[in-house]
Amino acid sequence: MARRNLIRELQSACGKKWVLHAPEDLLVYEYDGTIERGMPEAVVLPDSAEQVAAAVRIARRHGVAVTARGAGTGLSGGAIPCDGGVVIATPRLNRILELDPENRRAVVEPGVVNLDISVAAAAYGLYYAPDPSSQKACTIGGNVAENAGGPHCLRYGATTNHILGLEIVTADGEIVQAGGETGEAPGYDLTGVLVGSEGTLAIITKAVVRLLPRPESIITLLAIFDEVNQASRAVSAIIAAGIVPAALEMMDKYTMQAVEAAVHAGYPPDAGAVLLIEVEGLAEETAEESRAVQEVCRDLGARELRIGLSPEDRERLWAGRKGALGALGRLAPSYYILDGVVPRTRLPAVLDGVYAACERYGFRVANVFHAGDGNLHPNVLFDERVPGATERVLDLGGEIMRLCVDAGGSITGEHGVGYEKRNYMSWIFSEDDMEVMARLKAAFGAEERLNPGKVFPTSKGCGEVSSRMRAAIARAGPDAYI
Amino acid sequence: MVTQASVLQQLAAIAGPEHAGPPQAEEYAVDGLPPSAVVRPGSYEQAAEVLRYANSERLAVIPRGAGTLMALGNVPRAYDIALCLSRLDEIVEHEPADLTVTCQAGISLGRLREHLAAAGQMAPLDPTLPAQATAGGVLAANAYGPYRLAYGTARDFTIGMRVATADGRITRAGGRVVKNVAGYDLCKLYIGSLGTLGVILEATFKVRPRPREEGELAFALPGAADACGVAAEAERRGLSVAAAQVLNPAAAQALGLSAGAAIVLVLNLAGTPAAVARSAREIAALAAERGGRAATSPPQAGAQHPPEADPPPAGAGAPTGDSRAVVGWLSVLPSRVPEAMAAIEASAADARTSAYPTAGVLRVRCTTGDGGETLRRLREAAREAGGRLVIESCAPALKRDLDVFGDPPAAFELMRRVKQQFDPNGILSPGRYVGRL
Repeated sequence: MARRNLIRELQSACGKKWVLHAPEDLLVYEYDGTIERGMPEAVVLPDSAEQVAAAVRIARRHGVAVTARGAGTGLSGGAIPCDGGVVIATPRLNRILELDPENRRAVVEPGVVNLDISVAAAAYGLYYAPDPSSQKACTIGGNVAENAGGPHCLRYGATTNHILGLEIVTADGEIVQAGGETGEAPGYDLTGVLVGSEGTLAIITKAVVRLLPRPESIITLLAIFDEVNQASRAVSAIIAAGIVPAALEMMDKYTMQAVEAAVHAGYPPDAGAVLLIEVEGLAEETAEESRAVQEVCRDLGARELRIGLSPEDRERLWAGRKGALGALGRLAPSYYILDGVVPRTRLPAVLDGVYAACERYGFRVANVFHAGDGNLHPNVLFDERVPGATERVLDLGGEIMRLCVDAGGSITGEHGVGYEKRNYMSWIFSEDDMEVMARLKAAFGAEERLNPGKVFPTSKGCGEVSSRMRAAIARAGPDAYI
Repeated sequence: MVTQASVLQQLAAIAGPEHAGPPQAEEYAVDGLPPSAVVRPGSYEQAAEVLRYANSERLAVIPRGAGTLMALGNVPRAYDIALCLSRLDEIVEHEPADLTVTCQAGISLGRLREHLAAAGQMAPLDPTLPAQATAGGVLAANAYGPYRLAYGTARDFTIGMRVATADGRITRAGGRVVKNVAGYDLCKLYIGSLGTLGVILEATFKVRPRPREEGELAFALPGAADACGVAAEAERRGLSVAAAQVLNPAAAQALGLSAGAAIVLVLNLAGTPAAVARSAREIAALAAERGGRAATSPPQAGAQHPPEADPPPAGAGAPTGDSRAVVGWLSVLPSRVPEAMAAIEASAADARTSAYPTAGVLRVRCTTGDGGETLRRLREAAREAGGRLVIESCAPALKRDLDVFGDPPAAFELMRRVKQQFDPNGILSPGRYVGRL
């Protein structure tokens, strides 16, 4: 009865057609890029900030939680409605409201797909820099919520460095402008804390994003090494040489084997690791930096270097990296994507530790990651049909996170804490640290009304499958990204 | 009632008698208001203890570094304790190959710069008076200079902090790795919060390699639109421009770049030698197309970076001897910078204006002989250009009648609630912030 009233009110606020409540319609909103699940009571597809605000107020009156959802490509369970309640999905809020090439900014709704901004801005020689690997599918709303990264973070920073202002709907259902009219505004940087708050403080209804001019020259290099250790030492050596490439990615042996089988990138079957390095800038700079990078790689024992100058050649070199995760599906029925960060100098030691831990647990691991930032993505391969395998993989994941933390790093570099890692938060933050974060949440009046069960430690489980603790075990397949 | 003697006794017990005492001079006054006591903690724990004490006695605390930016903010509602962080001045950790540095809040940027330069690196903070200003003070005031064009502002490269809360707990925000999305990014909140939410004790920055080649170009151009146009086109082409300033004639003259009635565009270049050389050539051609002529010599190798004597172009935020001087800034859309420059000049005849064209920020310095009338006109001019004038420094007498940050922003109610949560007793820099928070 209560649910029927909730649905009826949502229908009257947003239109009957735009409220989903039949079990078969709700199914697709149960999960995201992880396979954690939570069944919402209703899904609403608003067309305006006013409708979002109305839906939030209705949910509040009914005492149910609200979880915002973009494309559902997230990798930490951020879009899973752990407490049921109402999911606000943004496919209709997909308009680029303003594209201002002179001031290099765009005002977009949260459902706009990341890549579509760059496509629209291309006519002016501009683009939106953050490039999570899911950029053809993921939305800006989700990117802002998770502070999404991507290969080119190394030079350009993450989402937070490219958001100038936000329009939000608070947990009370009020529409508020947080910055964005001009570059600087007096007052606390609410935009800064909203980015990366994983939908727990407010719901984003508009974002003002920064656009950058396309670089004049881009050179992509692929360096093939016999040993993974050589490759990780090359990463440090490139940085130490005073070069900060636009992207600096690494793939290890298992990843290469999977990629080779799937997209025939031409990797030697016995190689230990490849680095994918991209330098951008003026032609004079890229020529010089590419020479220096080649020299470093050769000194550290690279057995082969490939260089991509034309867009087609560069695309070919990237193909293996971009298809890596999808290709892993060939190696095992399931894999568990991890996301941890270590100081760059600790990369070789921590990678050794990751391999050793996986061996101890008896799992194969494929590493494909943002080496230049020290942002690791070990993908643990396993078969979840084997009894006990899932639990052991999750334990292993915890151990790997511990390795990152002990090396002075973090439990997430770009995927978010979400549901999966909330109980690791106490490894890097004290009770006092988290109490201060809770105060921020209280200031937004959010309590547990927006995206409950995320970010902060709790013993409470998510939805009906929580007891099985299957968070963040990705569905292997071509639509998976890191 | 807490007496000054009991405050002093307590502070001496915390930090040692030689580091606590009554203010010896006007040095610690804020807007003419002196504190009852000054304390210089020698550790994070001591700083936190001072706050615990102040919080329990409801004593107003204003944190400070070198005091170079203390003119910013509204007149404090109360001021009992000056919390000086000058003794917390160590480099905590610097691993050059990680491209990160962690330092204590009281370190001067001059020392930080020296330390990083020895490793061929830099943290691109460039406030006015960069040699004295401290890391913590610059973060609290979110002070920046023209190098924001290439390197962004503190929010772009501050990755971690240790902060003492109003109730005296030492907390951590962010971390020490360059990429990290665990928990709320509280560093963003503390940057620019002017000591109203917590006391910054330590910060971790992303650093970058120093550029191999640098240079400076200056052109006299017929109008602000021409100068902004050259800067925008240089940035669009990706030329090696690290900093850009558009100076009105009065500001140019003050910098010794006398160019008659012309607008002067100053560009600092940084990059590889070949890129800098090409950039200089292309920019000279762009300027010439718009009727520009060189106002100084072509780039010289090995220039200071960022320049040690960073021009107090239009405005040093530091207190000045001239009680009629007003320094402020406004932010507008970059496309409206020329319009804003003209409006400022029309409102204050002696205004020295320096704009960071591609960021849309203008800094203004002028004098007011007419009470608040000039300020009122400047505020109006800023509003017409779609911005808001923030007064960085002016005579305390003028300040009392206005909010130096202008009308409260749209999200003020949320900001008020943030302040309420972080400092429920209102002991941290009370009344100094936006909307007199």
